[in-house]
Amino acid sequence: MNGFSSPARVGALAAVMAGFIVAASPAQADRVEKHFAVQNKPKITVRNSSGRIQVKAWSKNEVLVAWTNKSGKSVVETEEAGNRVEVATRQDEDGLTAEDSKTDFEITVPVESELNVRTDSGNVTVDSVHGDMTFDTVGANLQLSDVNGYLVVKTIDGSLVCNRCSGKLEANSISGNVSMVDPALESVRVQTSSGNIYFDGSFQSRGIYIMKNFSGTIEVHFSSNDSFDVNATSLKGDVINQASFKPDTHGNAHPASKWGHSLFGTMNEGHAKVELSSFSGTIKILKRD
Amino acid sequence: MQCEQFEQILEQQDDGTLPKPALAHLETCEACRALSADIYAIHDLGLELGAVGTEPPERVWISLRNQLEAEHLILGQPSVRRTEIKGGRGWWTALQRPAIAGAFLGLVLAAVSAIGYLSNFAPTAVQSELTVQQEVSAVPTADSVFKEEVLTVGSDSIPGLQRQDTAVTDSLRRNLQIVDNFIALCEKSVREQPDNRMAREYLYGAYQQKAELLATATNRSMPGGLQ
Repeated sequence: MNGFSSPARVGALAAVMAGFIVAASPAQADRVEKHFAVQNKPKITVRNSSGRIQVKAWSKNEVLVAWTNKSGKSVVETEEAGNRVEVATRQDEDGLTAEDSKTDFEITVPVESELNVRTDSGNVTVDSVHGDMTFDTVGANLQLSDVNGYLVVKTIDGSLVCNRCSGKLEANSISGNVSMVDPALESVRVQTSSGNIYFDGSFQSRGIYIMKNFSGTIEVHFSSNDSFDVNATSLKGDVINQASFKPDTHGNAHPASKWGHSLFGTMNEGHAKVELSSFSGTIKILKRD
Repeated sequence: MQCEQFEQILEQQDDGTLPKPALAHLETCEACRALSADIYAIHDLGLELGAVGTEPPERVWISLRNQLEAEHLILGQPSVRRTEIKGGRGWWTALQRPAIAGAFLGLVLAAVSAIGYLSNFAPTAVQSELTVQQEVSAVPTADSVFKEEVLTVGSDSIPGLQRQDTAVTDSLRRNLQIVDNFIALCEKSVREQPDNRMAREYLYGAYQQKAELLATATNRSMPGGLQ
């Protein structure tokens, strides 16, 4: 008889393997959930120092806040007052590492909700929420998809990706990139110092689009149906243009600047206003394929 | 009345009431009007913010005040001790909040910028150039006090900084360096091309960005800074 197949040996082997599996698995962090009944358009405030924050929408008049803190050393405080829900992390102990204080959030809110998120590090994603939003981060990257509202973003070196965003966007960063893909934004005011700015979408009639950086690239894609006035200036860099602009016919004289490279012109009727400005970066105005 | 006298009166008065000679000077001096408006804006902001926030170490304010006095951005009153101006009466008290320290610095920079900008309309090119050089050289020296404090982020000497995320600290330091580099480039451009308005706007923008970054760093480094 083959000794390896004896029931006792199989049992012992299984026990040893189970021990390895348990030892190799990280401690399963407890997931905590809290539900808050709200009316339409609640205001949700999230304060977190480190960790991922995911916000998505549902049709219920309820806010679901779920979080995980692997170390168990971070305290999450919640508060509900009327139609306002606040969530904040707190560290009671001194000397905690970023990993200790890392808390991941999954928050589900009514579609029409107002968001106020402040975090230092860790990514923030927001999907399909319609309402005004403010984000204040240091290094956290931000991804907004299918959101609509007055969007205010402030980061130090976190990047912003805005997919199919509509409404108004104000974004300020020092070294973060800002990307707007297929937006329906009627107002854009984006400024970053060393980051790149990317805009690929339609310019809304009467929309105002101001994009400014110091040293990165500003890349704007347009279609031949777009209607906008453009004013692009790079003091030390280049302006690369694929559009056939006609001279600005809206009354503003644009004498050629003796400093840097400038481009002024009108596409179609010039319904939107586009201002692109860089100190030493390259500005690209490219035709969409 | 000269501008220096006006500034002295402005700093000393607490209740917002200016004497007649100062009011008369205000009517004729655009620079002092701008300065006065900025000071009152800071004062109002300080009152709005109330007592929120935690005071940073006293040495920050002492060194900042000394630096501003040394650069004649404010007038010195060596005999006035900090304990004597407590109680929320003076505008300087309102400035002793980390959240508005950056705003204050920004407004000071804006005030200096505005004065410098107006001065550029002086009749001679020599005066214009001098003004440019003065504003470029004076402002960064003032905020170097804050810079020094920010570079201590992560040290144990300031309460609450021990638990600062090192990634965040590194990010703040790195971006401070980025902004400093931009300021240096802008200053160079402004020196080389004093009538280049765009370069000047970028310089002011970089100063403002630095002030905001320092305010963020201060807020983030305080206990409860995320609150």
